[in-house]
Amino acid sequence: MSQREYHIVVLGSGGVGKSCLTAQFVQNVWIESYDPTIEDSYRKAIEVDGRHVILEILDTAGTEQFTAMRELYMKTGQGFLLVFSITSMSSLYELQELREQIRRIKEDDNVPMVLVGNKSDLEDDRAVPRARAFKLSQEWGGVPYYEASARRRANVDEVFVDLCRQIIHKDRDQREALERRGTRRPQGRGDRRTRRNHRPRCTIL
Amino acid sequence: MADLILETDDTNKHASALVAPLNIHKSPKRSRSRGPGHSRQSSSRGGQSATSQSHMSPPLTPRTSRDSLAEQPSQPVFHNYLRAFYHFHPSSTVSSSTDESSITVPINQGDVILVHSVHPNGWADGTLLASGARGWLPTNYCEPYDHPTIRTLLSALTNLWDLVRDGENGDLVVFMKQDYIRTLIAGVRFFLVSQKQPYLTAYRMSLIVIKEKTDCLTRESPLVVAHVGLRRMRKGLLGDLSSLVKTAKKLQEVLQSNDSPGLVFGRLDELVLKAFKLVTRAVRFLDIWAQDAVSLSFDMGEGNNRPLTPPSDSADLAVQPPATSNHDDVGSVQANDEAASVSQASACVTRELLDHEATQPRNLARLSVAFSIPSDSDALQSPLLPPQPQAQAKRLSVTHRLSYTGKSQSTRKHNLASERLNAAHDSFLGFIGSFIGLHLQSRSSEELAVTTQESVIACRNLLAVVEEVWERDSRRSEQLEQAREMMYTRLAELVQATKDMFSSSEAGMGDEVIMPDQGKQLVIAATSCVRSAGECVTKARLVIERIGDFEFEYDEQGLSHSVFDQLNQNRLGLDQPQAAFQVEVPSQPERMLEIEKPLPPPPTDDRKLLPPLVISESKPLPDVPHSPSTSNQNASLRPSQNPCAESPVATSVRSSMSSLPHSSVQHNLPQLPQPSASDYSQSPASATQRFFGKSIRADSVNASVADSSSTCRYSMRGETASIVSQTSTRATTPDQSPAKKYSAQTLVSSFGSSSELRSVASEDVEAVEEHLLETTYSHELLYNKDGQVSGGSLPALVEQLTLHDSTPDTSFVTAFYLTFRLFTTPVELSQCLINRFDLIGDSQSVGIPVRLRIYNVFKGWLESHWVVESDSAALGIIFSFATGKLRSTLPAAGKRLAELTSKATEIRAGALVPRLASSLGKTGVSGSVFIPADNTAPSSNMNRSQINTLRAWKEGRTQCSILDFDPLEMARQFTIIESKLFCTIQPEELLALEWMKKAGKGVNVKAMATLSNDLTNLVTDTILQVEDVKRRAIVIKQWVKIAGKCLELNNYDSLMAILASLNSTTVLRLKRTWELVSAKTKARFDELKTVTDISKNYAALRQRLHDHVSPCIPFVGMYLTDLTFVDAGNEPTRQLPGESGEDGISVINFDKHMKTAKIIGQLQSCQVPYRLAAVPEMQEWMESQIQRMHSNKEANPQSFHRQSLLLEPREPPRVVKAAPPPVSSSAASTMTAKDRFDMLSLSNYFTNNAKDR
Repeated sequence: MSQREYHIVVLGSGGVGKSCLTAQFVQNVWIESYDPTIEDSYRKAIEVDGRHVILEILDTAGTEQFTAMRELYMKTGQGFLLVFSITSMSSLYELQELREQIRRIKEDDNVPMVLVGNKSDLEDDRAVPRARAFKLSQEWGGVPYYEASARRRANVDEVFVDLCRQIIHKDRDQREALERRGTRRPQGRGDRRTRRNHRPRCTIL
Repeated sequence: MADLILETDDTNKHASALVAPLNIHKSPKRSRSRGPGHSRQSSSRGGQSATSQSHMSPPLTPRTSRDSLAEQPSQPVFHNYLRAFYHFHPSSTVSSSTDESSITVPINQGDVILVHSVHPNGWADGTLLASGARGWLPTNYCEPYDHPTIRTLLSALTNLWDLVRDGENGDLVVFMKQDYIRTLIAGVRFFLVSQKQPYLTAYRMSLIVIKEKTDCLTRESPLVVAHVGLRRMRKGLLGDLSSLVKTAKKLQEVLQSNDSPGLVFGRLDELVLKAFKLVTRAVRFLDIWAQDAVSLSFDMGEGNNRPLTPPSDSADLAVQPPATSNHDDVGSVQANDEAASVSQASACVTRELLDHEATQPRNLARLSVAFSIPSDSDALQSPLLPPQPQAQAKRLSVTHRLSYTGKSQSTRKHNLASERLNAAHDSFLGFIGSFIGLHLQSRSSEELAVTTQESVIACRNLLAVVEEVWERDSRRSEQLEQAREMMYTRLAELVQATKDMFSSSEAGMGDEVIMPDQGKQLVIAATSCVRSAGECVTKARLVIERIGDFEFEYDEQGLSHSVFDQLNQNRLGLDQPQAAFQVEVPSQPERMLEIEKPLPPPPTDDRKLLPPLVISESKPLPDVPHSPSTSNQNASLRPSQNPCAESPVATSVRSSMSSLPHSSVQHNLPQLPQPSASDYSQSPASATQRFFGKSIRADSVNASVADSSSTCRYSMRGETASIVSQTSTRATTPDQSPAKKYSAQTLVSSFGSSSELRSVASEDVEAVEEHLLETTYSHELLYNKDGQVSGGSLPALVEQLTLHDSTPDTSFVTAFYLTFRLFTTPVELSQCLINRFDLIGDSQSVGIPVRLRIYNVFKGWLESHWVVESDSAALGIIFSFATGKLRSTLPAAGKRLAELTSKATEIRAGALVPRLASSLGKTGVSGSVFIPADNTAPSSNMNRSQINTLRAWKEGRTQCSILDFDPLEMARQFTIIESKLFCTIQPEELLALEWMKKAGKGVNVKAMATLSNDLTNLVTDTILQVEDVKRRAIVIKQWVKIAGKCLELNNYDSLMAILASLNSTTVLRLKRTWELVSAKTKARFDELKTVTDISKNYAALRQRLHDHVSPCIPFVGMYLTDLTFVDAGNEPTRQLPGESGEDGISVINFDKHMKTAKIIGQLQSCQVPYRLAAVPEMQEWMESQIQRMHSNKEANPQSFHRQSLLLEPREPPRVVKAAPPPVSSSAASTMTAKDRFDMLSLSNYFTNNAKDR
């Protein structure tokens, strides 16, 4: 099977630790020095369910204030990692808007997506109850919810792999749909149903 | 023979794990094993005081045949240092006995142990260098450790230990009743003052040797990895050394302040521990080095079959088999390499030997077991390899092959004049180092004599090489000659100093104590000797460079041949002197003179020759008659192509005098058994022989090992061979000019100048120490693969900032100034700089340059990197430094710095320009900013009517549209606005994610983001405001044009902002509009899209920015992301590589800050104002438009999207293709009432505007 390349966009308000999450993921082997300015700083080959895929991750951490640029970033993504910090309720709220924008741009209610509550190591400072975040993920149509810690490298790979799996499934479904000349929508619903069957889930470490 | 046998069979191992293992054998394993119970008994009985007396067992016949080994009772062996080759962890550290002295220490493989005593049962009282723990340990788990490279260091450590112990036991016990503290302090102070420096010098010397060898190695080594390891170890070594110096200084302080004795002891302990650590590290260094050497040599040996010089090569091969068999027959001597190493026993061992003549058996045993790596090439065998007598014969051949391989490499290397020069210099430094280190410690005069002679020998060897180089030089470099002269003089001086010392010690204190004053003189003489040697070598190298390197080998005839021999000797320099001394000290100097004789005779007046040392009075050793040295002259002049059949094996065996083999070693193809035999048969040296015969022989064997090109060493198997004294060996060196006997007078006359040179010499000692301080923290630095500093402690980084010998790297300095507040505070930095100022001293060579650099750091900080808010806390410290310490040493600098501080104070008070730091960043990392002077602002593309329109707009009479103006002019005006803002961004706004913080410093960065957003929104808005689809297409075309002009102006930020709009779903979905956009515009648009493509981490954009020409406004967002990821992806600290897996200390991850600074530097390099003429009317209009967007709450993606839907409602998928794009009115008809209302209210402004036009 040919090696596919998927684009993942990491979104979230400033200070939720997106960049740490991404940096941890792309440099899983301890690298003495991480240089984010080279072309493949954000590319990573992984294996998901036996398929070798290349993930190109777009994380525009640091440019959150360039709100007008956001759409440009979102356009490229096939899957989205929506990251908030469990220590900040507002960071969760801000995701709502981002999700709406994604849906609008993609004209799709069923975009591959993962909700990530970062900084799970700071349990003492938790401001977002786990149930609250999980509820939101359910409202979003059963989007998987993970709590991760970039610092402790907990659930870092998992969130990316989960997202990648969703993209692969969608990709496959779309191909099949194309072959059958079916429309996207019913397919999407079917997909969502399957998603609901296997999830809801809330993975917490 | 008296070799340790490593007990490796399982049963023994198990036994030893439970009980004290005690398996020291001479030979076949099981023959001598003692019961564990026995050993326990004896070990507890032994006690700490199991010193040499306990070893006064019956004399061991030196070098008896191998058969006799079995008969010998197992003989405890003594070495100053042992190295564990197997771990030993006793089940309990305290044995059944309650006696404290029976504590056993656990040892790990590779541990080096300083042995205080060895009990006959095989247990040794030792101190682990790694931990400083003292206790009993089984010697059978250890092997003797001695390595020529590190020997000086080891013996220096022994001396230090003895000294400290003497201070604790001797001095204290004796003087406690009277004036305990004062005596102790006096003793230690004496130790410090008179001995510390030389002691350190000795360390330094040995380090030099190590380093130079390593340098040689790495130059050729393909193993870069190994290089890194070595480099790290070297750094660590230097670091330990510097910390040792510091401890010594502290000790000195404590002593001076007459503090409590407890403190003194504490310091002493610290000192000893530091010294231990240093040695431990040095040992590790050697290990790594040896590994490299091994792999290297195998590479060379196998891959690079460069043959030796044919004659010697064939001789070697031919001789080898008989030699081996010979060896087996006789079987008396250890494998050659091992026997050879006997002579390596350091000066300490020799001293012991002399001190305790009564205990000679033990000493001999010690000697014979001393296992070391005699030379470079032999170091190829790992020093960890223990001798294995069982496999003697086999090992012999293996060893031989090994050394052969190694030698073929090293021979090749050493044949080059330059290499020989280096080798000779190395060995000279090694000896002179040990000389300095050993003396001035109240050591016995014998020892002094030994080392003096060693030094003299080494010195002369060096001179020999220099001489040859000089000879070679057709121009007869005067400089070299002078340097050589100077070295002669210094050498003579050194000898004189030693002589003086002996005469006085004879008269006064006896031979136990040497007065410190004399010691100083000696050190002065020695250091000046080092200095002149250094000069000499430098000059010689220059000459070599000029005349080209030459190989001695290619010229086998005549003079150079003899020099070659001489050089062979030089290479053995490490081994020979001791042995020579053991034979007969007093006559040694003269022999050395003889060695020199084969050199081409220089002008007579050049020669200031050493007289024989007149130190024999102090030595109880019997005189050895001076052997005639001319006998071999003819032989040496013979061409070396003698057939191998004539190799001396037979002859030497025949003749009982073993000098033959050695003498033959001296020549590539020896063929002179008869004459030398006859010559040396006279050398009686009977007394010497009795005691030292063994070591002498060992020495000669060693010599031959070192020179594998002539393997005749095997021929000296003969038992009686040991009689031959070193004297004769030396004497066999061909003497070209027997007539030139050096007279004592010549030498004495040269002594006159010594006093003048003393001051110079003392400076030199200081310089050595300064040099140490110069690199105090270098071990706390990390480098990346490009050689840039990637990490380090603050003092180490400060040190890097203020190196004495090199201008600091610009990018390093810039990064430091920019980011230091992230890892330290201004106060801390100031203190650190001042500490360095204090520590470095004020010498011309090091101190002054460093101090000036420190001043420059302060100056640069105050002048262009001062950040008032954070840095003013340090102002007071800097001011008092400027007016105090700095002014007293560098008055002008102090004055200037004081001025700067007051200026900075004024700034704080708001008197001057708000920020000196406004110039910050113009020292940007990524190069200079260049604007051609003739680049005048282009005239604006505005016509009168356009200006008038704008004026009318201002008066509120009309509305303007972007379509009214020239795209280029609009791009220009927008660029001016943007550039103004961009240029105000301060570097510190970009640090530590300041721009992300709500109340952070990044105000201008935030403003940039806002401007960018507003521009995007403005573009979207202007497009969506137009109801007419055709007109909308024209607006899009206009924006594409403006974007294109922005690209031409290098205004990437505006380009990105415009594209973000044009490329957004809101605009892109207006399919009907786009259908009306011309293909040309679309093509242009596609072009711009590729430029601003964010995929592949902005690859396209980065490429353009990389080659940008300033002025330029890069897309700031990209840099912000980079900075964020540098912060997130790199830890603030990194670990120094620990030793053998341990974690080192964590230091500042400066690489992270370098990266940050680099990104900021790139951004700063763009911060150049555009040479564009502003059109105020247009600027005003634009700003108002931007402001409108800014305050418009509807300017958000959501409402824009809604607007977009109103303009061109979403169409059923099929219809799009089927029907041609409907006109806008039909689109409007599909809207809901609410949508329509929204659209109207929102697009009010633009609808009006459109109508106006």
